[in-house]
Amino acid sequence: MESFGRIGFMLFLAFIVPTIALVLSRFLQPRFVTASKIQTYECGIKPYGSAWVQFNIRYYIYALIFVVFDIETVFLYPWAVAFKGLGLFAVIEMFLFLTILLVGFAYAWKKGALDWH
Amino acid sequence: MIAGLQSYLLVSAILFFIGVAGVLTRKNIFIIFMSIELMLNAVNLTFISFSRFMNNLTGQAIVFLIIAVAAAEAAIGLSIVILIFKNKDSLSVDDFDVMKG
Amino acid sequence: MAANTIFFMIFSLVAIISGFVMITRRHPLSAALSLVVTFISLAGLYGLLAAKLLFIIQILVYAGAIMTLVIFSIMLLNVQEEDLPAEERIIERVSITTLILLPMIYIIGRSFTVIKDGQFPEVSQDFGTIHSVGMFLFTTYSFPFEVISILLLISLLGVVVLAKRRI
Repeated sequence: MESFGRIGFMLFLAFIVPTIALVLSRFLQPRFVTASKIQTYECGIKPYGSAWVQFNIRYYIYALIFVVFDIETVFLYPWAVAFKGLGLFAVIEMFLFLTILLVGFAYAWKKGALDWH
Repeated sequence: MIAGLQSYLLVSAILFFIGVAGVLTRKNIFIIFMSIELMLNAVNLTFISFSRFMNNLTGQAIVFLIIAVAAAEAAIGLSIVILIFKNKDSLSVDDFDVMKG
Repeated sequence: MAANTIFFMIFSLVAIISGFVMITRRHPLSAALSLVVTFISLAGLYGLLAAKLLFIIQILVYAGAIMTLVIFSIMLLNVQEEDLPAEERIIERVSITTLILLPMIYIIGRSFTVIKDGQFPEVSQDFGTIHSVGMFLFTTYSFPFEVISILLLISLLGVVVLAKRRI
């Protein structure tokens, strides 16, 4: 439970620091509202269009493949921590696991899912 | 008053039925998808509280596997949702009434 | 009241309220953000139940990867107001459905009374740590672990086939 105390402290810090920054700047800032002040970017190109742009569909397949390999990494983590007590059997086990996933990776590569045209 | 097993099970039941209500009432396919995720999580909470209650790690190992299955399901499910939206140009489940693609 | 109970109340209230908010939102993006809050408070409940590994996995995989994918899909489809299905008076309809389902919660709650003593027993310090769950998973559950790799392989193949079709 002590380790969660540290996480709670970090959570507290993460709440309090932006709050202090926002409240303090609210009180300290001089306020002159003009048309160019309230734009998204005060200096730079004038924004046009909507912020809801459809972004490139090629990112999507990367995101999907990322989720699959994220799960793989999540399985590697307790394996690496418990590695000392597990012995040779766990090495073979993880070798099989990675080999099966490598087949999928090779397929994705061969189909050109990872290419950026 | 100390929170025992029953309170955790009650929270899990309430979350599960919120998910059921979402699946039954809503028409937006994304929200139905997320309600299913919520139901999965409610079941995970049951597994973990029983694992703690029985002092047995089996429940946690099963939750670990469920999370992996949920991620695989999310990847496939969302790519199907995107294909359906491209074909039908709609997010309402009422429009998805034919088996033909 | 023990500190555990206070944290339990906070986390479960946040989880239930944001779960309810999730099914009443009209736009899926706000529903997704509300579901992230539910997942993080569920991670807090896992932490209270001494499941330290699952606490991390819940935040990393559910709040991190799966919900990012959902939000990514919503933004990719560029869901506008006119794309949303016509649903009127969502809050009323959802509330009525929840009220109809309430007796089910009561029935399930009745079955909990069978458990006479619901107090959690004392567990050893390393219960649910990364090391102990890893030891357990890779010895007792080695076969399901290998099956998961085949499941991930199939989902990878499916993703490539489905996503390549429209590029």
